[in-house]
Amino acid sequence: MLFFKIAGFEFRYQLRQPIFWIGAFLFALLCFGAVASSNVQIGSTDNIHKNSAYSIGLITLVMAVLYMFVMAAFVANVITRDDDSGFGAIVRSTPITKIQYLYGRFLGAFGAAALAFVSVPFGLALGSVMPWIDRETLGPFVFQNYLYAYVAFALPVLFLSGALFFTLTTLTRSMMWTYVGVIGLFVARSVFAVVISRPELKHVAAVWEPFGTGAFTAATEYWTASERNAQMPPITGDLLVNKLIWLGVAVAVLALAHLLFSFQSSERSGRSRKAAKLAAQAAAAPQIAAPSLGKLARPSFGAATTWAQLWARTRVDAVQVFRSPAFFVLLGIAALVSGLNLYFATESGIYDGKIFPVTRVMIEALRGGFTFFAVIIAIYYSGELVWRERDRKTEEIIDAAPVPNWMFIVPKTLAIALVLIATQVIAVLVAMFAQVLQGYFQFQIGDYIVWYLLPDAADFMLMAALAVVVQTLVPHKFIGWGVMVVYIIASIVLPNLGFEDNLYLYGGGPSVPLSDMNGQGRFWIGAWWFRLYWAAFALGLLVLAYGLWRRGTETRLRPRLRRLPGQLKGPAGVVLGAALVVFVGSGGFIFYNTHILNPFRTTLEGERWQADYERKFLKFETLPQPKVASVKLDIQIWPHQTRVVTHGLYVLQNRTGAPISQVHVRFPRDLAVNALRLDGGQLQSNDADFNYRIYALTTPMQPGETRNLAFVTTYEQQGFRNSGNMVRIADNGTFVNDRELSPAIGMSRDGLLEDRAKRRKYGLPAELPTPALGQPGADQFNGLSHDSDWVNADITVTTDADQTPIAPGYRASEVVADGRRTVHFVTGAPILHFFSAQSARYAVASLPYKGVDISVYYDPQHPWNVARIQNVMKAGLDYYQANFSPYQFRQVRVLEFPAPDGSFAQSFANTIPWSEGIFFIADNSDPDRVDMVTYVGAHELAHQWWAHQVIGADEQGGAALSETLAQYSAGQVMKHLYGADMMRKFLKFELDSYLRSRGGAVKQELPLEKVEDQDYIYYRKGSVVMYRLADEIGEDKVNAALRQLLHDFAFKGPPYPTMLDLMKDIRAQAPADKQGLIADLFEKITLYDIKATHAVAKKRPDGQWDLTFTVTATKLYADGLGRETPAPMNETVDVGAFDVEPGQPGYNAREVLVVQKVPIHSGAQTVTLTVAHLPRFAGVDPFNTLVDRNSEATITPVTTP
Amino acid sequence: MPTLTIDKLTHIYPNGVRALDEVSLEIPNGLYGLLGPNGAGKSTLMRTIATLQAPTSGAIRFGDVDVIADPQALRRELGYLPQDFGVYPRVSAYDMLDHMAVLKGVASGKARRETVEHLLNQTNLWSVRKKALAGFSGGMRQRFGIAQALIGDPSLIIVDEPTAGLDPEERLRFLNLLAEIGEHVVVILSTHIVEDVSDLCPLMAIICDGRIVRQGDPLALIAELKGRTWTKALDRADVDGVRARHQVISTRLFAGRTVVHILSDGDPGEGFTPASGGLEDVYFSTLAAARKAA
Repeated sequence: MLFFKIAGFEFRYQLRQPIFWIGAFLFALLCFGAVASSNVQIGSTDNIHKNSAYSIGLITLVMAVLYMFVMAAFVANVITRDDDSGFGAIVRSTPITKIQYLYGRFLGAFGAAALAFVSVPFGLALGSVMPWIDRETLGPFVFQNYLYAYVAFALPVLFLSGALFFTLTTLTRSMMWTYVGVIGLFVARSVFAVVISRPELKHVAAVWEPFGTGAFTAATEYWTASERNAQMPPITGDLLVNKLIWLGVAVAVLALAHLLFSFQSSERSGRSRKAAKLAAQAAAAPQIAAPSLGKLARPSFGAATTWAQLWARTRVDAVQVFRSPAFFVLLGIAALVSGLNLYFATESGIYDGKIFPVTRVMIEALRGGFTFFAVIIAIYYSGELVWRERDRKTEEIIDAAPVPNWMFIVPKTLAIALVLIATQVIAVLVAMFAQVLQGYFQFQIGDYIVWYLLPDAADFMLMAALAVVVQTLVPHKFIGWGVMVVYIIASIVLPNLGFEDNLYLYGGGPSVPLSDMNGQGRFWIGAWWFRLYWAAFALGLLVLAYGLWRRGTETRLRPRLRRLPGQLKGPAGVVLGAALVVFVGSGGFIFYNTHILNPFRTTLEGERWQADYERKFLKFETLPQPKVASVKLDIQIWPHQTRVVTHGLYVLQNRTGAPISQVHVRFPRDLAVNALRLDGGQLQSNDADFNYRIYALTTPMQPGETRNLAFVTTYEQQGFRNSGNMVRIADNGTFVNDRELSPAIGMSRDGLLEDRAKRRKYGLPAELPTPALGQPGADQFNGLSHDSDWVNADITVTTDADQTPIAPGYRASEVVADGRRTVHFVTGAPILHFFSAQSARYAVASLPYKGVDISVYYDPQHPWNVARIQNVMKAGLDYYQANFSPYQFRQVRVLEFPAPDGSFAQSFANTIPWSEGIFFIADNSDPDRVDMVTYVGAHELAHQWWAHQVIGADEQGGAALSETLAQYSAGQVMKHLYGADMMRKFLKFELDSYLRSRGGAVKQELPLEKVEDQDYIYYRKGSVVMYRLADEIGEDKVNAALRQLLHDFAFKGPPYPTMLDLMKDIRAQAPADKQGLIADLFEKITLYDIKATHAVAKKRPDGQWDLTFTVTATKLYADGLGRETPAPMNETVDVGAFDVEPGQPGYNAREVLVVQKVPIHSGAQTVTLTVAHLPRFAGVDPFNTLVDRNSEATITPVTTP
Repeated sequence: MPTLTIDKLTHIYPNGVRALDEVSLEIPNGLYGLLGPNGAGKSTLMRTIATLQAPTSGAIRFGDVDVIADPQALRRELGYLPQDFGVYPRVSAYDMLDHMAVLKGVASGKARRETVEHLLNQTNLWSVRKKALAGFSGGMRQRFGIAQALIGDPSLIIVDEPTAGLDPEERLRFLNLLAEIGEHVVVILSTHIVEDVSDLCPLMAIICDGRIVRQGDPLALIAELKGRTWTKALDRADVDGVRARHQVISTRLFAGRTVVHILSDGDPGEGFTPASGGLEDVYFSTLAAARKAA
């Protein structure tokens, strides 16, 4: 049959093309690497296997999306190459039909593309059988998984992209539109990737995202490790709908090709018609009598002409870009993508809170969205401009013009610079437009220019310069682009392989973290030195490219290379020499800074150091050591010198029952120890590489005896680093803690390698077991530090006089002398051995409240949340003092610290540092959102009780005693501020976050009482569990249990409390029928699946309404790997009726018609409620107090019969 | 006015083809016709003179200028119309001409405007000056090509196959323009159309397989053949016989019969009559002789 003959012919043709083999090889390699390299993880985590069904599915899908760039090359020119070769007219004059021609060709090309894609499962499978792979990261080899992923996930994507590109090129007869299509599709994917991160749009994205990645993610979102290892998402539900929609679209698009494709040759296309029209117009013009040359101006050659030529060339090159449709398409897409990024950038608060679109946030969003396109523009147009004259066949005219040889490469480079600067200007305008849309009008144009436009434009210029040079060397534009793509990939991969020195990574340099408080700090200095270094290098390359420029008909490289020395005589050589001098000179200075002033370390080296540290010293972990009984620190902060000098004195006490003859003193790796003296101690060994000293005591320390340890340390950074410049000490906004400045006594696990795969890689056990709940002896140490219990603290902080120094405690004295401000802080009672020291130019808002001074230290640019912070402190103090115990200080201080330090809040004694990154720029204008400032503020204040009064033992469950109880406390404060009816939005966030995390968790899940280093359990699940506990046994009972815990353990040293103590107190408060519930909540992993359906309301004669709906309930117990076993359910659960769906915009307490507790058992049951008027929604567990695997299904709309 | 001197110019392509083989020419003021079949090396020679290509060996001088050592000096005197050239998309005739004027050293605004406007009028492109060049027909594009070649009052003009694609009227206008220019400067016209040369050029050369096989005044060359060319109209079947017996210069179909031109010092008999002897006979006889020799 002719159709299949055509397809077969096309298929065989494609098999002979390099793209088939290159594409197959590249993707096989990518997939092989994804599995076989221990440095790459896609879809797998520690207990999700590298060859798990989930990983195979995900990688195959991602590869299919990436493959569209290859797909374009397969299908795009299937038809157009007949036009290009002129063969089209011949083909179309044969008796072949349009259908046979179009679809036969398409089928052949698509078949070849699909065959090449077999390289993906092949590469994945091959990678998984490599002998060096850690067996623990692999599951059994299951052939069907590869087949299923290929057929079910990859083929539809390939078909869609193939159909789209085929049709695009066939109809437009232009490859450019195919590239536009590729980018468009890529953008669509990116947009959906952003959209899908918004939970409420998840379903929409799952159905409409063209590649099905959204549907895949949604289908597997709550899967546990064992589910991910063993199963693929079935093609049902949203996945099926998604596949059907987009297969339909693909078929429709192909049909469109048939409908619109003109089977005539392109001779009759628009272009020649237009030419004929123009010719007629020219002919119709009145003929000028007789051609006569007359007098023409003579040329003149001088500086003025040269400048005019430079401008003319630059202009013509730049205008060519500015006027090309692709540029507008690219910019438009870039604006759209970064517009979305910019819009969602304000959504980056925790608990889905919103932040103000300050310039720093906008710039980070631009870097996430716009940069990709700027790089594409730099690379694409470098190729276009270098090859423009040859592509347009104007080179003979232009090259024969009397312009100097540099009049080609210089204007082209300038033109690209103009284009890139224009691109950046547009990026800034888009960002400011986004700010306007958000109602934010504080435009920091200077900051946009200095923080973003100039540095990024310079970086793109480096990229463009490289691209220009590459294009000058290679024999074809496409090869040049290919080389640049390889370069981009290499520049991403190399640092991951340990090649991290920016001295050899072209265009590399340290990042410049931004902050409103601290501006660019001193980070820009190193970054611009690197830019100078690479700019000199690029200039040198450009001079070489000038020497190798193709002028005239010689395009081969070798003759141009022979010509090069001659070209470099004269000014070009001088420029090259100057560039070389700057390159070497700045390189030397950079080397001095990054390798001599500062240690140069790769990530891998850092890991190896950690591993060696553990191997060498972990054996000392159990060695009895004295504890720090009191601490005196004199911290001298030099904000502008990036230096902190600390004079410290520890009083050590032997709190063991036996004499101690050896004291281990450890300092952070890069902390300079200027002086160190231990009373009666002889330095026995000093391992300088690890800053680990062992002192032998000439007379052993007897039980109860104390000794002084005096030290002087310097924490500083001189010059700049290759990467990871110190952010802790800032010109404005220093935030350090004592662990960075002072020694630790004895070995502990802080700072050891944690990642399981990395630990195995360095020959360490995958995990250091956390002491079990109730393990004897574990309660001798608290979870915060092994070398101390409660300590007396005396801290003095000195900083520049224009800044405010802060440390835990009360200000006892303040002295300003010689431009330095010294403040002495004292505490009335012992506190935990964990202190912060901060210094910045603060504005202070103080508020006396019931004997407590509430002070907020903030940057004057961020006044927005000061009152809110004070309010939550008031609410928290009231609740915690009334229900737990008195606040131990007469002051609470909240202090802003710069964003580069992180986006967190931390609670020290009476001192709560809070990031500028989220909380101080929180935008609370939308009342439907979670009030994150209040929530987090209440949480941090609660730590003054749950950590700073009662601190748990360092064993399983210890984190729950501080974090879960702080979450509980904050939740209760929120409940009292906003009402129980409003808790759904908080609890649902916590619940979804827990459910999502438990699927991808690294180590096996533990019940709450045994939680280890698993924040999704002690924060997220903890919130839900404790809220439900209070709901079931009563808030007062829970608080009574907590009071008991405080009573027994507050401010007491070892033995420290454990979760067993808390469980005992809670069980004592709970009635007998709730003891099983307590086991479910704390001792087991319990999940529910409760649905409300078929809600019908009937009006009664008395005007009220009978509401009936079906509740279907399942209760499950899960093990650590997520394997579930059903359990009988027999509990009371809230049911209710509402006018607005709880947790949704517009919902508030007034919309609640009725809520009451009813018994719910496993299986289906009917619930009846009587309500005053017709409700719109009915639901079970409407406030999300249960750990429900699908909390969306608990609410259902009400219908009338 | 300076003279263009080409001395033993040789160009060998990487694949070993000798595109130019010791070409030596002396080209004074006026229109100089370079006639040769496709692939003879015309364009290579043109490009080499236009500084776009470095020869393997040999020398080119234009007046005092050593073209190979100092191409820039020649470019300042050069007007060049390549055989095949393209245009930038979305650029109008006016803008492109203006751009070329800057590149050619006509930098000052007023002079440039006058030059551009004058040339647009001369080439009859004034009415479409604001239209994109990309939409131009072949003839219009060719006119634009000559306009840009004339910018800057060049003293050496190289036009490579300029009349290809022009309709007869356009061709006439174009050749007239060339003739006028040729009164003052060196114009090299490369073509494979004999009429272009015979109509215009006081001097010419025939190039074949990279070598100059004939040069001189077309009239003198024609005169050399006088009495040696004969013609006869034959049936097609007889052509092979004639070919075997005589030195055939050319055959051409005319009104269904084949008209054969042969070269013969005396009357060849067989009904041949003396041919009127045009440049075409010179061209074809030269080519035939050159190929026989090769």
